[in-house]
Amino acid sequence: MTDAATPTASRPRAPAAGLLQVTVPPAGASAGPGRRRWWARLRRDRTLLIMTLPALVLLAVFGYAPMLGLVMAFQDYDLYDGFVHSPWVGLANFQQLFTDPGFWHAFWNTLALFSVQLILFFPVPIALAILLDSLLSRRLRGIIQAVVTLPHFFSFVLVVTIFNEVFGGAGLLDTYLRSHGVTSPFDFMTDPGTFKLLATSQLIWKEAGWSTIVYLAALSAISPALHEAAAVDGAGYWRRLRYITLPGLKGITVLLLILNLGYALTFGFEQMLIQLPAVGSGAAQVITTFSFENGIVAGNYSYGAAAGLFLGVTSVILILSANKVAHLFGEDGLYRK
Amino acid sequence: MSRRGFLTAAAGTVGAVAAQPLLTACGSGAASVKPGAASTSLLQRILPHYTPSSLVKPDYPSIDGSPPAYLSYPSDLVRTVAETPGSGGSYTGITPLWGTIPSANNPFAQAVNKALGATVSVNPANGNNYSTILPQLFSGNKLPDWIQVPTFWAPPLNFGEAAATRLADLTPYLAGDKVSKYPNLAAIFSNGWQAGIWDDKLYGFPSYTAGFNYGYQLYYRADLLDKLGIGTPSVKSINDLFDLAKEVNDPAAKRWALGDIFGYLYQPFGYANWMLDDKGNLITQYESPGIIEAMNWMAKAVKAGLVHPDQVAGNFGNGVTEFYSGQMVIVSDGSGAWNAADAQKGQAANKGYTRASFDFFTATGSGTPRMPLEAATAWTSYLNKRLSASQIEEILRIGNYLAAPFGSVEYNLLNYGVEGVDYTMTGTGPKLTAAGTQYAGSAVSTYNFLVSPNSTTYNAGYPAVTKAAASWGQRNAKYGYQPLFYELNVTVPNNVSSANAFTPFDPNTGIMHEVVRGRASIADYQSTLANWKRNGGNKLKAFYEGVLTQQKKLGSA
Repeated sequence: MTDAATPTASRPRAPAAGLLQVTVPPAGASAGPGRRRWWARLRRDRTLLIMTLPALVLLAVFGYAPMLGLVMAFQDYDLYDGFVHSPWVGLANFQQLFTDPGFWHAFWNTLALFSVQLILFFPVPIALAILLDSLLSRRLRGIIQAVVTLPHFFSFVLVVTIFNEVFGGAGLLDTYLRSHGVTSPFDFMTDPGTFKLLATSQLIWKEAGWSTIVYLAALSAISPALHEAAAVDGAGYWRRLRYITLPGLKGITVLLLILNLGYALTFGFEQMLIQLPAVGSGAAQVITTFSFENGIVAGNYSYGAAAGLFLGVTSVILILSANKVAHLFGEDGLYRK
Repeated sequence: MSRRGFLTAAAGTVGAVAAQPLLTACGSGAASVKPGAASTSLLQRILPHYTPSSLVKPDYPSIDGSPPAYLSYPSDLVRTVAETPGSGGSYTGITPLWGTIPSANNPFAQAVNKALGATVSVNPANGNNYSTILPQLFSGNKLPDWIQVPTFWAPPLNFGEAAATRLADLTPYLAGDKVSKYPNLAAIFSNGWQAGIWDDKLYGFPSYTAGFNYGYQLYYRADLLDKLGIGTPSVKSINDLFDLAKEVNDPAAKRWALGDIFGYLYQPFGYANWMLDDKGNLITQYESPGIIEAMNWMAKAVKAGLVHPDQVAGNFGNGVTEFYSGQMVIVSDGSGAWNAADAQKGQAANKGYTRASFDFFTATGSGTPRMPLEAATAWTSYLNKRLSASQIEEILRIGNYLAAPFGSVEYNLLNYGVEGVDYTMTGTGPKLTAAGTQYAGSAVSTYNFLVSPNSTTYNAGYPAVTKAAASWGQRNAKYGYQPLFYELNVTVPNNVSSANAFTPFDPNTGIMHEVVRGRASIADYQSTLANWKRNGGNKLKAFYEGVLTQQKKLGSA
């Protein structure tokens, strides 16, 4: 996932394939050329296919099998009747969902929060990667990279706690201000108006360093010869950035942007759930927390599943549309067309 | 912390009270009350007969149901279970634990198992998300042999149905005189057993049963008020409380007067989960005028900067620490907060630390204070239906051991462990060793949540805490009253179950939380309430009106 190269690029090339094709005995008379080609490709790629098998099994068991549970979105699910005996209610759960103002609030709030985070967060790791790449001292670069990557491994509970200790009403900043005559200093942690910025800064602090790794890899793939040639031709730093570095990052940037859109509706569950009491549902309620509150906490599983299914379908549509747009602009997107 | 989790859940499910005349609706969507509900005489036949036992004479006897209290630890422990109760069986259990989870099969657990003559492997689970693991256990039919299901977390599980399909019916083993085989179980108050009755059958074991059981009380730091020259405060009305809060508040010195005490305000402002309005109509607490006044008062306190910023932010995790360090002076908490462990931790943080509690009061300052009682216990454990009759009998004998009262050899083992290993006996009572603190100390609730004797108050090494808490109980128990649907396990029909979750009124994320913090107005509150009524709330009320009518008919309301 971190590599921009499409899977096809890493396949064994023609010679091996050709050899295999020669040794394959003709298939049964009934098999057409299409089928033979398919079989041949299967044989040719068998090592690779076997290598992907564990991942596929994992995906099937933990990704696809639980999806069967989504049938409860069309049922009035009862814990003890199970999927088999719970009564079917058709689209009743969705009707209730689409007329629930709480749901639509969560939906639009999700998109608003996501947009702000996307616009403010997305460029940060790119800038950071370019900055790090331009550092000559490898030692210094290593230290900085370690420092900015570390918060990725913190859970949001810790991140929010650290932010609270610094910016909260009883935190370092406000305590300092209060002891210097400011009677009621601003409390960043409980202000719903600035919550989008707060949530984004938490995300940047936690994830920006980690996200640079991919871009650094892409940057190292740009041949230094290009930079040297451009420099010889008289291109300054900004020109080289504009015509060599950024185009070199374009493919990976588009890929990550699309993948990010896939998370548009599911992001930040933990982050929001923790901060819901601080800023209120007006600012922090997103679809995932809505689904959790109404499904798991209130024991209304069918309703929660309906919200979850809506979220899944919408996410797929978002990814596919973004991919389409990428193809229109001549980029690879998620896969090569 | 545990108390907050507890009350969050309790408030979220409102009528989370234990059984009395056993009115339950079928879970399949019918909005009518199931006919044939039990009368008092049927209840008499189901409930185990209460045979009191008192090994030690309390220093503070029970008054109006307050738990009896002991200042010293008895020197002659009495053996109440003559034979080893177990016959070598092996059982699994799950109970919630708020705190550090001890390693499995630790020395304390081994000592208990040896005494029981059976292997009871209880797996304590994190109390903070206990409510979210229960549905998986029930729906997947992966229940252990013995499981704690607090009454306030039962509604999302549709518990009447759960009991019938997943849990063992204990009526044939314990009803009436049959309990006499197990004298320690027989010594638990009947209204503790009532909490475990579903659909006219006895399923559950009670823990921590007490007659005078209430949700919250208002605590303050007596030592801090002394230091500020205020002395023993006299709070007779909600205005007195506001004035006192203003007096002690000093954010520049990192001292705030109040925690988020909104959860307590139902006491002075006089509302209860379900109640009758002036015209005699059934209403929920959310429709009472009292709750509006309470929100206004709390919002005023927040706006005046009297409430600790972390509490305003909904970060309750540090609440206890902030109380210990003196950052908060007045907080609300359950009765369980006032004990030796609290005094020990508080004094470690702050040498003079003394917790004290305001007596119940009325908002206006006139009239008699009232406090709606909670069911005699909210903690009930159940057995798996798959157990055989002989296994159930073995567990009942084990339960008889676990329910041994204060002053017995068995109680001593379960609460303090093995002498010389887990505790040493001092002049002021048993004192836990390092190993004892690690295992016996942290695992006490593990066994107590399976079944435990009626609540008593004893604080090893801290008789002053016992004195203060017990005399507070003796003074205030008389203000307790039984609210509507007291001790009644109600399973609501499916079509009103989501209204019964009271999600819009969630204490941490709901509308009241917003109003108190100035992010929503009373008008917003009213529209949320109207919306809740439209989306099933009115149907839920109609259902409860039916329950009330039937209760009246049976002469128990």
